[in-house]
Amino acid sequence: MKTNLTPILSALTRQRGVRGSLLVDETDGVIIDATMHVGMKGPAFAALAASLYRKARLSAEAAGLGGVTFVRLRATEGHVCTAGKNEMVLVIVADVHANIGLIRMEMLKALERLTI
Amino acid sequence: MISVAEPWVEAPLKRFVDDARVTFALLIYPSGQVLGQSGFSRAVEVMSAAALAAGIYATVRELGRTLDGKGFRDVFHAGAKRRLYLAEAFTPRGPCLLLTVFDEQSSLGLVQLYFEELRTALAQTKVQVPDAAPMLDENFEVELNRNLAMLFGRAPGRRHITPTS
Amino acid sequence: MADDIRRLSEELARDPASPVYLQLGEALRRGGQLDLALKVALRGLERHPHEADAHDLLARIAVDRGELERAFDEWDMVRRIAPAHLGARKGMGYVLFKQGRYSEAQTYLSEASELDGEDETVATALAMVRVKLREGAGGAESADSDHGIQRPQRAERPQRHQASSLFDEINETGEHTALLLDATGLVMAGTYLTQDGRDVAQEVGAELSGVSDEARRAMRHLGLGNWSSLTVETDAAVVAMAPMRDDALLLVAASKAMPLGLVHRVLDRCVERANGWLGEGAR
Repeated sequence: MKTNLTPILSALTRQRGVRGSLLVDETDGVIIDATMHVGMKGPAFAALAASLYRKARLSAEAAGLGGVTFVRLRATEGHVCTAGKNEMVLVIVADVHANIGLIRMEMLKALERLTI
Repeated sequence: MISVAEPWVEAPLKRFVDDARVTFALLIYPSGQVLGQSGFSRAVEVMSAAALAAGIYATVRELGRTLDGKGFRDVFHAGAKRRLYLAEAFTPRGPCLLLTVFDEQSSLGLVQLYFEELRTALAQTKVQVPDAAPMLDENFEVELNRNLAMLFGRAPGRRHITPTS
Repeated sequence: MADDIRRLSEELARDPASPVYLQLGEALRRGGQLDLALKVALRGLERHPHEADAHDLLARIAVDRGELERAFDEWDMVRRIAPAHLGARKGMGYVLFKQGRYSEAQTYLSEASELDGEDETVATALAMVRVKLREGAGGAESADSDHGIQRPQRAERPQRHQASSLFDEINETGEHTALLLDATGLVMAGTYLTQDGRDVAQEVGAELSGVSDEARRAMRHLGLGNWSSLTVETDAAVVAMAPMRDDALLLVAASKAMPLGLVHRVLDRCVERANGWLGEGAR
């Protein structure tokens, strides 16, 4: 399914160090739209990143911290960044040396433009 | 709690249930014969679910052949609170079906992800294939009842019952 | 232990109405398999809803899960079913003690003492409560020496103080707070104070520790190595977490005004501090 975010996902994926950009249904954990480098396990990233975002969102609400705006998982070999809107989650997978500050800004801007 | 009629099913089914965090899981042969289950507390529930799953699978397979030229491999239904996923896997003893039900603790994507692992594990299982002896209609009910009794620990031939999280 | 659990499981499978679920649930609880212990206890209660020991088991599991209010309710149920149940009084006293409600804790522990005056654990707990009550009343000199009450050993008090204030030096500005949680989400060190000064560390820790399970699960499949930190930006705060040894978790919560890079710097310092503390053999 192509959305009005397809060009934005492509632009995000062209950022230095980004391996893939995915728009995922938060409840189902399945891909709505994605642009990824060859060989990336899109469905696994979609399911697990959406689940992580959802868990963070529900836990933060339960802990009285309000809504979640951005979640970043840092690992020894890369980053997974997620941000959500209207039960959709934007997921970026990036190399360990990617500019996360820039990616975060672009993701938040992209979410503002997201309509589906 | 997981209970299995065939010991070789236990480890992959347990891993699936733990990883995917599903509420119910039922592994059956397409005939309805039960291989293992998790989450059910009564034999009658397993019996009903196995029969219905086998029926749905047969129906959907034929529907797929009619509409798409080949049988559908899986079925997903989203209820208000619970979701159902039914899909086909293969073992050295032939095809089998997984019926699983999950809530907001899991998702379709996670269930599909871990089902792929289960499918791979079942396909790679080292298990002796018995001599082909098609199940006769008149034996079916006897076999089914024996199978359920094994699952719920009421038969002398019960092979394995192991609780899990 | 594993053999016992297997044997008890098989026994229960053979006879689901058997009271062996109590032993099985307790064995699982002691083995740290709390989710499974809970399932066994609940399944047992479905068949034996008026069994006091089943409610007692459920209460103990709830304590291990950090669910103190639920534990209290279950012990209250035990008390209604079996008015002379010693464990219920002890448990209710324990919960109230943990909640800082020392006067009420004393009431239940005194009742327990009346039921069994020779129970050393009750006597010790009652002594602890009375010490706390005296401290609250301004540290008046003990008048209880004739009851054989002992103050906590001196070595315990700095240890406890050190745990709650472990990250105080890093938090000089008061812009953030830090917690060290064990694998079950229980607080090992640090505090989480609300604006009105209430310590909600246990609640926040219990809610947020589950996120690290998700991170751990994700890492198994994504080919990104091990996770080193997880940052959650919310409307009210920024929460950063890092894995520690033995599946413990370090959590830093900071004001949204604090730059994200600085939050991570604070997280790194807290990790270093906690590693040192854990290395010293702190419990």
